[in-house]
Amino acid sequence: MKTILLIEPDKLLAQTQQTYLERKDYKVVWRQTAESAVMALDEASVDVVVLELNLAVHNGVEFLYEMRSYSEWQSIPVILHTNVRKGQLAEDALARLNIADYLYKPSTTLAQLVQAIEKILQPALTT
Amino acid sequence: MTALQNDQKSYADLPEARLFAVLAESLKQPFTTIARTAELLVESPDVVLLRNIESTADAATQLLDHYLLSLRLQRAGTELNLEPVSLAASLTEVAHKLEKAAQQYLCDIELHIAGRYEPIMAHSAGLSAALLDLGTVFLETQSQRTHTHRPVLKLAAHRTRHGIVAGIFADVEGLSTDMFRRARQVYGQAATPLNQVTSTTGAGIFVADALLKNMSGGLRVAHHQKLTGLAATFVPSQQLVLV
Repeated sequence: MKTILLIEPDKLLAQTQQTYLERKDYKVVWRQTAESAVMALDEASVDVVVLELNLAVHNGVEFLYEMRSYSEWQSIPVILHTNVRKGQLAEDALARLNIADYLYKPSTTLAQLVQAIEKILQPALTT
Repeated sequence: MTALQNDQKSYADLPEARLFAVLAESLKQPFTTIARTAELLVESPDVVLLRNIESTADAATQLLDHYLLSLRLQRAGTELNLEPVSLAASLTEVAHKLEKAAQQYLCDIELHIAGRYEPIMAHSAGLSAALLDLGTVFLETQSQRTHTHRPVLKLAAHRTRHGIVAGIFADVEGLSTDMFRRARQVYGQAATPLNQVTSTTGAGIFVADALLKNMSGGLRVAHHQKLTGLAATFVPSQQLVLV
């Protein structure tokens, strides 16, 4: 069973996402802040990170810099699932931060989120 | 952070649009929650999820309503009809209204109104709306933090030499006068103007600020029994003292 680290500050939305993902046979580790998400990476073997950029205190970009500074976490794919529009990101941000996919949260269905996750995990699923 | 860019060019020359911009940005989250929860419910009914939709929709509608009220109060200007209002009664009413949301966010609500206070001249509906919006944002911020014990939101009033300070107080780390001043400068442009406090736009705080500006000078960072919060200072009604 693959493990998703879901970093989403809104409790109600996160509960919905977690329920849906678990029904699709994923294990979900949910965290609301960048700090607690870094600790979760340390505690669990995570296969993919789903990340909202707008977080309290330390935002998602700071989390990514922290995450990518550790060699053992550099290859973990990250999907941005965020209220931040793509146009608000600096042009090279996705490449610089090694983002696997970008999803604009207000217009992404749960089914589309799962499709994006499956697409990223596909090579691993078929081996 | 160079990865994220503020929409500084979008709204800087439209000051009246800033409050609407922060409100509109803020409403993306509840509508997304409603849509995704409905998507989940199509597969299987769940009373808890239906209640989440109900509470989310109610909170979003309330915020819109209070924003419209702030526009009406602003338009009334010096002709705004103020009336004697009991702060204790207002705080008690708001505490009661916040109970349901507090249960959802696993917080406790406490009232701290030590002593008797004279009525203040205020717009009753505007005052209640502002306190409700503040309380809602603070409940959200508490839910985003790790606590060693169940968090408490205090609706409190205390007397100072400037008047009666009334507001909402909690264990809000990072809230300071400087931070709030900067947030007032960038809301409607920055995605998270109160980023040390909340991941949201904190629209409820700016709507509350707009509501209270018409009767008290607006919100400021204040302290109550070692807790930090946002409050307004009200001058007691001297007319009623003389009667």
